[in-house]
Amino acid sequence: MRVFWTAAALLGALLLQTALTQIAPGHARILDPFLIVLVYCALIGGEMQGMLAGGAAGWIQDIHFGGSVLGLSGLTKILIGFAVGAASTRFHLVEAAARALVLFVATAADVLIYTQLASVFDVTSYDVTPAGILVRAIVNAVVGVAAYELVERRSRFRVGVRRRA
Amino acid sequence: MASVIETRKSRLLLVGLVLAHLVAISKQVERGGQSLLGQGLFAFVAPIQAAITGTIRGIGGGWSGYVDLRRVYEQNRALQERVRVLEKQLQDRQEQAQEAERLREMLQLRKELPLDILAAEVIVREGVPWSRTITVDKGAGEGVRLNAAVISATGVVGRVIAVGPHASRVQLILDGQAGVGVRIERSRVTGILVGQPGTPTAATTDLVLKYVPSLADVVVGDVVVTSGLDHLYPAGLVVGRVRSAARGTGLFKEILVTPSAQFNTLEEVMVVRTPLPDDTTTQGVR
Repeated sequence: MRVFWTAAALLGALLLQTALTQIAPGHARILDPFLIVLVYCALIGGEMQGMLAGGAAGWIQDIHFGGSVLGLSGLTKILIGFAVGAASTRFHLVEAAARALVLFVATAADVLIYTQLASVFDVTSYDVTPAGILVRAIVNAVVGVAAYELVERRSRFRVGVRRRA
Repeated sequence: MASVIETRKSRLLLVGLVLAHLVAISKQVERGGQSLLGQGLFAFVAPIQAAITGTIRGIGGGWSGYVDLRRVYEQNRALQERVRVLEKQLQDRQEQAQEAERLREMLQLRKELPLDILAAEVIVREGVPWSRTITVDKGAGEGVRLNAAVISATGVVGRVIAVGPHASRVQLILDGQAGVGVRIERSRVTGILVGQPGTPTAATTDLVLKYVPSLADVVVGDVVVTSGLDHLYPAGLVVGRVRSAARGTGLFKEILVTPSAQFNTLEEVMVVRTPLPDDTTTQGVR
């Protein structure tokens, strides 16, 4: 079931990212829905699920939105998924603020790791400025926390319905 | 326990995924015709390969050095043997050259002397310590007679005292029993030259000139030649030089003569087969 919902979430992220590239081509990278999905998977499922979700999200991103070299986003997101999953098993990351912080840090780390890997592999990547990273991290944190809250409310609602039934 | 296993699995998976991604990415990134993975692996492996190569080369160098050392040792032995052979050959050549020189001198003397002489080689020296004799390789078969005079290129050597079929014993003039009729070439004073008795020593290699009157004209350095009066040695052959001449206590002088023949290095001699009675034919020996 988890795999299904993860796949569904990734599909939604793909749709959203595609829509963003259509709506605002120059600002589509401000939001990273794949990162939001993988962070949630890692927070809920731990290191393993975070890695797998990150790998899948990254490869989808690479295939659909990446450059000539595939795997950079995949590798980046795997590392992010593992790190967030490891953190979720050690820290209590249920509060919205904590999750926002995680999303904030994960976004910044994602950008930095990606650009570093790109430079290591001598691949041209997008220009990154500290301000851009900050904006992106804030946007991801806000949108992500909102999305998580939405998902969890929905799941709580389902649980309540089942109990009443 | 389960969480530990899970953590371990996830870390292994992380490592596997990271490596797989690195491989996949590097496969796509070409740099100078070689994939980045190849370059990275090369950069990682190259020092190890260099170390291994250096080690192998070191071992190989040591081994080849050992082999070379063994080869050098064998070569050294072979060369030493070669040097020994060549030294022997050189020694033989030098000996042959010296022999040739001696024979040349003897041949020259033979041409100058109107005597029937026979070249002979010394085969035995000094049979017993108190007897100063040599043995030559020519005997009656070659025409050697008893009492035949024996000379060398430098002076009178002695006379034949025993004749075999193909060898003869020669009594040297150094022998205490030997005697040679001589004269001082300059003053024509005659006397008898005899060897000194006793075991041969450095001091007894001089000859004693006897029966020279104390008033006779003999000085140090005078050349002593055979007189021919003994009917053994042809007249005029050089015997030696006066080393000392003293007045003496009696009627005669005390004269010592150093023989001119090199007895220590005597190897070839000439045996006179037909000694001539007069002293006019042997001037060339001087």
